[in-house]
Amino acid sequence: MAPIRVLIAKPGLDGHDRGAKVVARALRDAGMEVVYTGLRQSPEQIVQAAIQEDVDIIGLSCLSGAHNSLFPRVVELLREKGAEDIPVFGGGVIPEADIPGLREAGIAAVFTPGASLEEIAAFVREKVRRDNA
Amino acid sequence: MPSSWQRQLAKEISQIENMAPAALAAAASLPLDRERVQVIGITGPPGGGKSTLCNQLLQKLGEKARVAALLVDPSSPYSGGAILGDRIRMQSLVSNPNIYIRSLSNRGNPGGVGSSLVSILRAVMAWDFSHIIIETVGAGQSEVKIASIADTVLVVSVPNLGDDIQAVKSGILEIADIFVINKADLPGADSLYTALRESAQRAVEGWTAPLCQTVAHQGIGIDALIEEIERHRQWLLDSDRLLQKRRNAAKFEVAELSRVLLEKHLEKLPTAALAGYLSHRGGNLLKKLDAAYAEILNSLEEV
Repeated sequence: MAPIRVLIAKPGLDGHDRGAKVVARALRDAGMEVVYTGLRQSPEQIVQAAIQEDVDIIGLSCLSGAHNSLFPRVVELLREKGAEDIPVFGGGVIPEADIPGLREAGIAAVFTPGASLEEIAAFVREKVRRDNA
Repeated sequence: MPSSWQRQLAKEISQIENMAPAALAAAASLPLDRERVQVIGITGPPGGGKSTLCNQLLQKLGEKARVAALLVDPSSPYSGGAILGDRIRMQSLVSNPNIYIRSLSNRGNPGGVGSSLVSILRAVMAWDFSHIIIETVGAGQSEVKIASIADTVLVVSVPNLGDDIQAVKSGILEIADIFVINKADLPGADSLYTALRESAQRAVEGWTAPLCQTVAHQGIGIDALIEEIERHRQWLLDSDRLLQKRRNAAKFEVAELSRVLLEKHLEKLPTAALAGYLSHRGGNLLKKLDAAYAEILNSLEEV
């Protein structure tokens, strides 16, 4: 069976990528191919990388507080590029109150501190499986 | 911004990488003998600066024409997953619509690249690139498959990885069309240069691999390197070797795909049975395989 391809990206300006790397490693250990694009990426860079890499799903990590503008912008650009079939999930220090808005903007799931790696890997596997069914 | 051709190419590559029979067949019908494109391989040790060099080459070459990079990283021997992190060094280039960058896992294949790479190359070539750069997994001494695929192989060395006996050894240094001494600003670069020049550099069929010194993260030495890459291409064309290289790549493709198919069938057999087959009736299995291969190849000649 073909491995799931995931893009893990850090939009915005914060330099804290430890969480993103831990998630990337966990997804690798779950048998997925994880493209990691590094720090300080613009939504445009993230969307272009996702298209070039033909990923099944995009995971965004943001610890700067700018998630409310950055996450929806990625979804919007995907739509502009005709790639809205690529789902987006996110994580970071995100207040509970912001989650409904993000979900409404098209973010498939939001993981906050305390989320287990198993939970994230299971979500990705299930989401990609369902979308491709 | 990415145009739809990039999305289409990306999906074609995935299909081939996943060995979908229809995609492999479609790729096989695409020509590999396009002389306008140059296939450049970059190999060398992990941390030697291959991705940073690749970034510099893409940036310069992408100013004038369409260029692509295929970046191979290793898969996990345990989970089969992979972290594909080469493009971190190239993300600033994604706003240039002339540049296409794709990360690939080697999917457990030894030798520095995946077994479907030549088929992928056929698909990429169809999109009118002037240069296609293939970066191998971080290579040690014997990851030499790239020499069967690329027109021009860059072997990257960095100072202080060992003494000068390393430059005498067989393997990866022998496949260099161009030696790149990266991190040439570090102490030890001069002795590496001398060691490579005295022990590794030699003329093969009339081409002597030049030694280029670069400091890739500062962009130093890149123009001179591009001149040597172009000079090698011209030599390949003038000496009628380019198409010979491509024929070698096609042969390599047949060998790799055949091996993968055989392994796929072997995996279906129970280990206990397989363990006995080799000795069964005096090595009958090898004789049968040999005969079967010969029959298949003979039948091909009839077509």
